[in-house]
Amino acid sequence: MKNQDLQNNQEYKYGFTTDIENIKAPKGLSEETIHFISKIKKEPKWMLDWRLKAFNRLKKLKEPNWQKPKFPKINYQDLYYYSAPKSMKDKPKSLDEIDPKLIETYKKLGIPLNEQKKLSGVAVDAVFDSVSVATTFKDELTKKGIIFCPISEAIQKHPELVKKYLGSVIPITDHYFATLNSAVFTDGSFVYIPPNIKCPMELSTYFRINASETGQFERTLIIADKGSYVSYLEGCTAPMRDENQLHAANVELVALDDAEIKYSTVQNWYPGDKNGVGGIYNFVTKRGACRGKNSKISWTQVETGSAITWKYPSCILQGDNSVGEFYSIAITNNHQKADTGTKMIHLGKNTKSKIISKGISAGKADNTYRGLVDIGRKALNSRNYTQCDSLLMGNKCGAHTIPYIRNKNSSSTIEHEATTSKINEDQLFYCNQRGLNQEEAVSLIVNGFCKDVLQQLPMEFAVEAQKLVGISLEGSVG
Amino acid sequence: MLNFKINLNEIDKIGKFSKEEKDFRLKNLNYFNNVGFPNKKQEDWKFSDLREIVSKNFSKLNIKSSEQEKSKINFIKDFEHNYIVVINGRLTVSDFRFEENDKIKLKSFTNNDFADRKENNPLINLNHALSDKGFFLEIEENYKFKKILVIYNLFTNDLNEIILNSKNKIKIGKNSELHTLNLIINQSEKNFFNNVYENVVLEKAAILKNICVQNNKSSGYFHKYSKHELSNASNLTTFIFPSGLKFNKLDLEFNLNGENCECNLQSASFLNKIDHQEIKTRVNHNSPNCKSYQKVKNVLDSESKGIYQGKIFVKDVAQKTDAYQLSKAILLSERSEFDSKPELEIYADDVKCSHGSSSGSLDKDSIYYLMTRGLSENESVELLVNGFLSEVIESIKSDSMKNFLKKKLADQLNGYKKN
Amino acid sequence: MLSIKNLSASINNKEILKGVNINIKPGELHAIMGPNGSGKSTLANVLSGREGYKVSGELKYQGKNLNEISIDERAQKGIFLAFQYPTEIPGVNTRNFLKTSFNKVRKAQGKKELDALSFLKILKEKSNELGMDEKMLSRQLNVGFSGGEKKKNEILQMKILEPNLVILDETDSGLDIDALKIVADGVNSSRNDKKSFLVITHYQRLLNFIKPDFVHVLADGKIVKSGTSELAIQLEKTGYKGIN
Repeated sequence: MKNQDLQNNQEYKYGFTTDIENIKAPKGLSEETIHFISKIKKEPKWMLDWRLKAFNRLKKLKEPNWQKPKFPKINYQDLYYYSAPKSMKDKPKSLDEIDPKLIETYKKLGIPLNEQKKLSGVAVDAVFDSVSVATTFKDELTKKGIIFCPISEAIQKHPELVKKYLGSVIPITDHYFATLNSAVFTDGSFVYIPPNIKCPMELSTYFRINASETGQFERTLIIADKGSYVSYLEGCTAPMRDENQLHAANVELVALDDAEIKYSTVQNWYPGDKNGVGGIYNFVTKRGACRGKNSKISWTQVETGSAITWKYPSCILQGDNSVGEFYSIAITNNHQKADTGTKMIHLGKNTKSKIISKGISAGKADNTYRGLVDIGRKALNSRNYTQCDSLLMGNKCGAHTIPYIRNKNSSSTIEHEATTSKINEDQLFYCNQRGLNQEEAVSLIVNGFCKDVLQQLPMEFAVEAQKLVGISLEGSVG
Repeated sequence: MLNFKINLNEIDKIGKFSKEEKDFRLKNLNYFNNVGFPNKKQEDWKFSDLREIVSKNFSKLNIKSSEQEKSKINFIKDFEHNYIVVINGRLTVSDFRFEENDKIKLKSFTNNDFADRKENNPLINLNHALSDKGFFLEIEENYKFKKILVIYNLFTNDLNEIILNSKNKIKIGKNSELHTLNLIINQSEKNFFNNVYENVVLEKAAILKNICVQNNKSSGYFHKYSKHELSNASNLTTFIFPSGLKFNKLDLEFNLNGENCECNLQSASFLNKIDHQEIKTRVNHNSPNCKSYQKVKNVLDSESKGIYQGKIFVKDVAQKTDAYQLSKAILLSERSEFDSKPELEIYADDVKCSHGSSSGSLDKDSIYYLMTRGLSENESVELLVNGFLSEVIESIKSDSMKNFLKKKLADQLNGYKKN
Repeated sequence: MLSIKNLSASINNKEILKGVNINIKPGELHAIMGPNGSGKSTLANVLSGREGYKVSGELKYQGKNLNEISIDERAQKGIFLAFQYPTEIPGVNTRNFLKTSFNKVRKAQGKKELDALSFLKILKEKSNELGMDEKMLSRQLNVGFSGGEKKKNEILQMKILEPNLVILDETDSGLDIDALKIVADGVNSSRNDKKSFLVITHYQRLLNFIKPDFVHVLADGKIVKSGTSELAIQLEKTGYKGIN
């Protein structure tokens, strides 16, 4: 019985495939592909030009090679850059017009899209491969002037906002994968919160990769205007396949004066099987600009999936008194590799940043925290506090901490602490003596270890994340 | 000077070599010439762009000049000691009057390792190509030094736009013990580059305590790569008190190869003017049950820049490793800068590894407190900085050495003025 | 309840217990006294099934051999160890932990698991009996607890989990007299004719409050003397050296 349970749990819960007819761009990366995407999205010319500019830049760039996880060469000509269910070609006007197979897919993932059953207090934008399927609670948000829609829709309906902010945090010249995204991004969410509005519910995007041989290149842009607040959640899953799939997203956040953005991710892409076959390459660029004074951007991430995770959600603290936060849990098991962390760039006066990173490595996995704290000459009276803790389970895995710390300012303070250890045997013994078995004890202790990060998540996500922490480590002890 | 290359003919000017050695030198010179002085694009030189520093400050770099080999030395009178005198990197005289001379071997260094390697650090290749001086000190088994050995490293006042390359090796036999004080005395006020390659070998249960002191500020540009090999149950303690040079990079590698060995590194520096100093360490825990401890303290004034790059590497077999690393910096001036990269790379699970790094200003409350007791602001700062740095000195056991170092520190801080 | 025959235990090739014999019947309270290093804590660890010891001899609990049974299964079968140094587990809420443990033990014993509300009722009742501040239960498990708070937390767990065999490992160490009384009251009120206790202590002090049926003196890994509560009083006068 017990073994049976274990096996059921260990299987990746979201590994099913939805059998649906797709429209795809011609295989490969070319100007033609970009024209195809732009055309099918009915984009204005300025958008197409922007993409082509990025594509021209891309030709001069090379894939970065400094990160720890190495991966086999990706054949960019052997990928589809656009894949969407055929039924989404003519935009369905209401849920009734959406292919029931899609609704069913999201239901299976725990994301009901039907008006009656939708999650209370959370508005969802559901992205399936290269296209947004549905966005819930749209009307309610519109009343407050909040824009929450697929970015492809925003390009048509709110060009002035998109033109002003797209690429303003991650320029199209940034680095290989960010530039690639700028050239071929397909869909993603767009959020605009007007001045002095506190978004009344959590906004959330659920990303699903379904089609094979397809890369997902989503683009998210969130703008919090003066004095506004928004909490945004992101979830991701993909079917189990033995090929590696590329997910190269760009996420840009802009917080103006006195605004706050809270961005939470629970990343559960397919990690590959026990032998390291298959899984998602999660190469993501996430960056937030605290552009206004007293603004705040807070990143929280729970990274349990993907074969390779490679991302550094960062904050550029431009406005005086602005605050950047990064809370991260990265769990790697079997052959998974994660190289993740953050950059806190202090430019304004009295800026503060906080980094809490918890890395857990089991099996044959490799887990790296890499981060930069840079306090510039003009960032007077600024502060950073960093705490990086790593847990190792077994001696076939690795845990690495690579912080870059630069202080160019005598009135500013940087504190960094890091530890690496294994699970404390006394703690395991104590839990065992109170009747918990080894796996339960490990899950409990690891959740305790991650507490500082988990408590940053919105309630509904926190419970999910806690379970995920336990499941991700199953089979790693004993 | 931006594309600094050295003519292959220069090798003939420094000496006559066997074919094997000459090939080795040529290969290494080629490696160096292909890369040149390292710049910030190289990960290990991210915070110290040596190419820029050299090209800004040197119009040429001579390989060989008629250096003075004699100079007056003020021997330390504070405590009895043995000594070696090294002038411009070359071994000149030695005196082991307190020891049994048959237990000690000292000679000029001759390299016989011609293994072909392209090093990550091009300055090592440069040293392999051009090194023509240095010493080899070997202590026999089961011999404990009775008095400290002072190594006087003198740089004469005629050094100008020259690069010195030397190699030293210290080998301590089984169960033997040596304490050394490395004293660097620089009489040149001109720019010169000193590039040292050092190899320290501790055999089973050997003990080495080493203190390195730069006596005075100077315009030297120093680079030293030092590789330490530790066998079973050996114990290495190193204290470094650099006083600030135009450029100073210490690249220190510690290989804990045997079980139960221990390595301890502590450093305290006061940097000002445009001093640029980097301490880079790499501690490789290659065996179980070893311990390493590092503490690096910096106080930075004026436009000085301090850097600490420290890496702890723990191999999968190195269970029960206990490794600790701490870096603390105080910035006194708005134009000073402190960068650090404390790194952990760990492949064994039953370990205790941690690091801490902090940088910031002096505690304002402490200054305020001292000023209410009648000290001026400058005096308060001086007192606090002295306290911050002398904590490192406090962990040295010998009282006479402690006093000697405290005097050196006080000289450096004497009359601190807020600028 | 518990029968220990010729129990030996060694760790890192060092023999700590060298043939211990104790027989505890239901309802009995046995005290084990002994100087530092006599093997008292090792005995507690071995009984609870802690790994790392090489154990030989016979360990029977409720007539069944314990040797092959894991720590958590022993706990589920009703063996409770109150730790000398309760372990701190950061990030884990005390109340949640107690509930998890409570339901694990109940489930294993074939009882119905309780929902949060019913459990909190029991928890409240028991913690009030011990005069515990409820705020303590909202804190992280044992983290930042004073010595007294940690020991009270152990006694609270003992009361909640309703074990058959309670092992108290130097529960009196580091307690002031008021806390000691509370702990002793907690033990005394739990005594009944079904439940057995093994109280490990260095000093006789605790035994003024908890009256043992039998006292054993452990020295150098062996029981060197057994007797009634009188023996403890005698020990207090003569010290461990006065034995033999």
